Amino acid sequence: MLRGVAAALGRRALQAACVAFAVGALSFLLVRLLPGDMALRIAAGRYGYDLVSAAAAEAVRAEVGLDRPVLAQFLDWLWRLARGDLGRSLVTGETVASEIAHQLGATLTLALAALLLSVLIGPPLGFAMGLRPGGLADRIGLAVSAALRAVPSFVIGIVLIVVVSVRLGALPAAGHGEAENLVLPAATLALGLAAVSSRVARDAMAAVRASPQFAFARTKGLGEGAALIRHGLRNAAVPVVAWLGVQLAALVEGVVVVESLFAWPGIGHALVHAVIARDVPMVQGTALVLGLIFVSLNALVDFACLALDPRARPR
Amino acid sequence: MHRVLAASLACLLLALPCLAAAQERVLRVVSPWEITSLDPSRAGYVFTRMEVAETLTGADDGGLPKPGLAASWQVSGDGLVWRFVLREGARFHDGTAVTAEAVVGALERARANPGVLGNAPIAALSASPGAVEIRLSRPFVALPAFLAHSSTQILAPASLDAEGRVRAVIGSGPYRIAAIELPQRLEVARAETWAGTPPAIVRASLLAAGRGETRAALAESGQADLVFTLDPASLERLRRNPRITVLSVPIPRTIVVKLNAGDPLLADTRVRRAISDAIDRAGIARAILRNPEAAATQLFPPTLAEWHVPALAPLAHDPAAARASLTALGWEPGSDGVRVRNGVPFRLSLRSFPERPELPPIAAALQDQLRQVGIAVSVAIGNSSEIPAGHRDGTLQMALFARNFSLVPDPIGTMLADFGPGGGDWGAMGWSSPEMARALDRLSAATDPEERARLRGEIAAILQAELPVLPIAWYEHTLAASKRLAGVSLDPLELSYRISAMRWAE
Amino acid sequence: MSRAFGFALVLAVSLFSAIGPVVIPADPAAQDLSAYLSPPSAAHPLGTDHLGRDLLARLAHAGRLSLGLAVLSVACAVLPGVALGLAAAWRGGLTDRVLATAADMTMALPGLLIVLLVAGLAPGRIWPLWLGLSAALWVEYFRLTRATARVLLAAPEVEASRLLGFGPLYILRRHVVPALAPPLATLAAFGVGGAVMAIGALGFVGIGLRPPMAEWGLMLTELLPHYHEAPWALAWPALMVFATVFGLQLIASESAQGAGESPR
Repeated sequence: MLRGVAAALGRRALQAACVAFAVGALSFLLVRLLPGDMALRIAAGRYGYDLVSAAAAEAVRAEVGLDRPVLAQFLDWLWRLARGDLGRSLVTGETVASEIAHQLGATLTLALAALLLSVLIGPPLGFAMGLRPGGLADRIGLAVSAALRAVPSFVIGIVLIVVVSVRLGALPAAGHGEAENLVLPAATLALGLAAVSSRVARDAMAAVRASPQFAFARTKGLGEGAALIRHGLRNAAVPVVAWLGVQLAALVEGVVVVESLFAWPGIGHALVHAVIARDVPMVQGTALVLGLIFVSLNALVDFACLALDPRARPR
Repeated sequence: MHRVLAASLACLLLALPCLAAAQERVLRVVSPWEITSLDPSRAGYVFTRMEVAETLTGADDGGLPKPGLAASWQVSGDGLVWRFVLREGARFHDGTAVTAEAVVGALERARANPGVLGNAPIAALSASPGAVEIRLSRPFVALPAFLAHSSTQILAPASLDAEGRVRAVIGSGPYRIAAIELPQRLEVARAETWAGTPPAIVRASLLAAGRGETRAALAESGQADLVFTLDPASLERLRRNPRITVLSVPIPRTIVVKLNAGDPLLADTRVRRAISDAIDRAGIARAILRNPEAAATQLFPPTLAEWHVPALAPLAHDPAAARASLTALGWEPGSDGVRVRNGVPFRLSLRSFPERPELPPIAAALQDQLRQVGIAVSVAIGNSSEIPAGHRDGTLQMALFARNFSLVPDPIGTMLADFGPGGGDWGAMGWSSPEMARALDRLSAATDPEERARLRGEIAAILQAELPVLPIAWYEHTLAASKRLAGVSLDPLELSYRISAMRWAE
Repeated sequence: MSRAFGFALVLAVSLFSAIGPVVIPADPAAQDLSAYLSPPSAAHPLGTDHLGRDLLARLAHAGRLSLGLAVLSVACAVLPGVALGLAAAWRGGLTDRVLATAADMTMALPGLLIVLLVAGLAPGRIWPLWLGLSAALWVEYFRLTRATARVLLAAPEVEASRLLGFGPLYILRRHVVPALAPPLATLAAFGVGGAVMAIGALGFVGIGLRPPMAEWGLMLTELLPHYHEAPWALAWPALMVFATVFGLQLIASESAQGAGESPR
């Protein structure tokens, strides 16, 4: 088991390094290719627009080394990234690291709450449908799941806001701070995830029920419930958890859209603002953190798979 | 037995929110603007509007100065020395007294940083016990108005760290900061150090929500008590809501298009006039702003009675004249509908931002209206900081925003910032007029009412003729207030949310 | 049955997007500020939007853009993905490892982030969206091709063909491609659906396409404040996105179940 964990950790660590490199390279490309004078923008971010002058821009150019050869700049850029120096935001002048520190908690809370909610909704419903494949519940479930997957997440969010918040007045439409603020954004993300995980769970459960092990357990004399819990659930859980890993990409992407809609002060929201404002240090920092969150969540899924399925562990 | 237990648990859970509400109810304010920084010169208006920090003076609804941290002031005979006497017993939220030294320190910082005070001809600031003396280099009657601007707010010396950066906002107002989460949330609580009548509202919070639909949803669902800057479509719906009072006040703000008169395409006044003629202001006012009266006939709205000149020929909507004028200037219609002159197509870029919900649809409308006369406009809705950035590096061609003429309660403040010899981030670009410079100079010093009226008329006429910025529509400030609040009023100068004057209606 | 329904939906939307702009006389960008948000009428069969533009024309042009861009992005991801996957499977060794590492690096970032970063280069233009989506999507096709081809190339028939002297192109075409086509088609169908939604999400967030371009997600964003006074206006683009993606999913999931794989 331990060797499996070490192998998974190693793979994910390598992936994290790849994320850092990819984000750093893309951000550097952004800096080179964006129109306008980058040195002037950086200076204006630090001193404010009224105080910035050509002399200040030249000082920044020399300090940041914007007039050196491209390769030297790129290496320096990567070196700063490796040291953890994410620079200062061009819009607010604060360090990117401090801004992200504020926002990280909010995004993690949202992502984990959405995952939790989707795990509570999707697989149980899916398992129930898998018990009677082809039945009425299963067919309704297929239709609802397909419909949910065909609706963009921001439309789901808007419908939830209109129905739950405006018409019923039950939950806040936006904001951050109290537990009730978390429900609608997490639910918006969770519904999309649950739509897929419920189908995967249903298929896994149907496969288990049809499997010889399960038939044997029943022949032994175990009741359906006991047979399920002892022999079915763990087997059915493995593909569900594995598909959860695939869904993580959708989660991170969904976080970006949902944070914008619900004014949730997280990293996705910050990334969008930074891209619109061409605030490259902020773009780099937020994209990096989002990518690393993605890799970490994948690592967690790896561990869960290893814990659930002994066959996956190296001998 | 289980059922009884479950039922009582359910009752308890339902009762909990009521229990919570029985404690101090928080007044929830929602605005579109994020709190980008603690520094007064960047987002200081957040703290003055929430009445955490104070300025030396304030202004009444008519724009006339009224006392703030300064209880009274006098000016010397030659108009060069102003003496502001500080309010007795004023204290900062950390308990220290508001000293003249602290005030001078704050004003020096305001002068050094971006803000309006740089436009006032201040020569020196000095402190004496209980009073601050400001020495000017030439007479400037609008000084009290300039001292009402949020960038001049007075913070305690303990607010600054060793390098002089603001690390906490410690003001002297009726509310102190209880919690702050940049850039989105701010919580304030009644300050014990406030010597005046304690406000009825004990706790308040501010949430920054950039999307107009989100703000409307918050107002409609009752999740917020004061919601500012609503989009016109939601406004109509909110007016019909029995739990909400909608206040809508014309204010001294105009939606304008800033033009880069230094750009070869826009340098000719006749081209700018043709662009102005192509704009259907009445259509925009009706369809987008849902208020036909808002169509601008000149830069200053009628509410700015002193500056609005009724006799001025109104801006026209005449696409035919625009086309004729452009053709006469050598802009031939091209094959794809875009005019061409000497091989150069007439293409412009227009920048705007989404925090004011009317701006993106107006940008789309302007794009189409200019296309009808053969000018191709590409629209970029981004961050508002793109506009000063574009002004600074010269890449800006057109920008759409709502300009505040009561930046400082006397519009001369905005005039000096925008139309002085160098232009301004939110004003003229690549345009200068010696007549305008002279008129502004004389207006800053003149005290004779007749001469002031004449100078203001001259300024308005110059702007109407030369069009360095194009007026589009006059602006209305909007507020959706919960009917659970009493004493709600809307500040037309946007200096304060006036929370200290409100109370819960019970 | 549902697969046929899916085909019908996708076909209807595609025809509408392809032929609509040619057949419908109204100009999608022409505004009429005096007739904003008018309900369906003879002059405007689907009504007008908040600036008085004809919704039917805008919907058709938006279809061209949304659907066309999605199909183009997926096509430009499938071709290099398949080619590189075949190369990796055929050559093995260093080529395989280099390509697999490149794929892993791309997989390390969620697709939308890649698209956001690339779209930041030139907001409002089409090419960054297309480039970003292709860059994010090619990995799936690469991995599928590589995995399938590796298994197939180890089979005895391929060994026999090689011994007979047939070249790589023949072997790939004869042994690998037929087995590859069905799962590839499934993946591509899902991919197009996902791309349509991604383009819409970017438009919603403000980084995608800009006015006066008509795009379904952008239309949803623009019409959102008016959901109360003109809900029909909001319904049309939502229905179009839904019909497209739902139809594609019906096609894809049916064929996936037929092939015995788990639905995505």
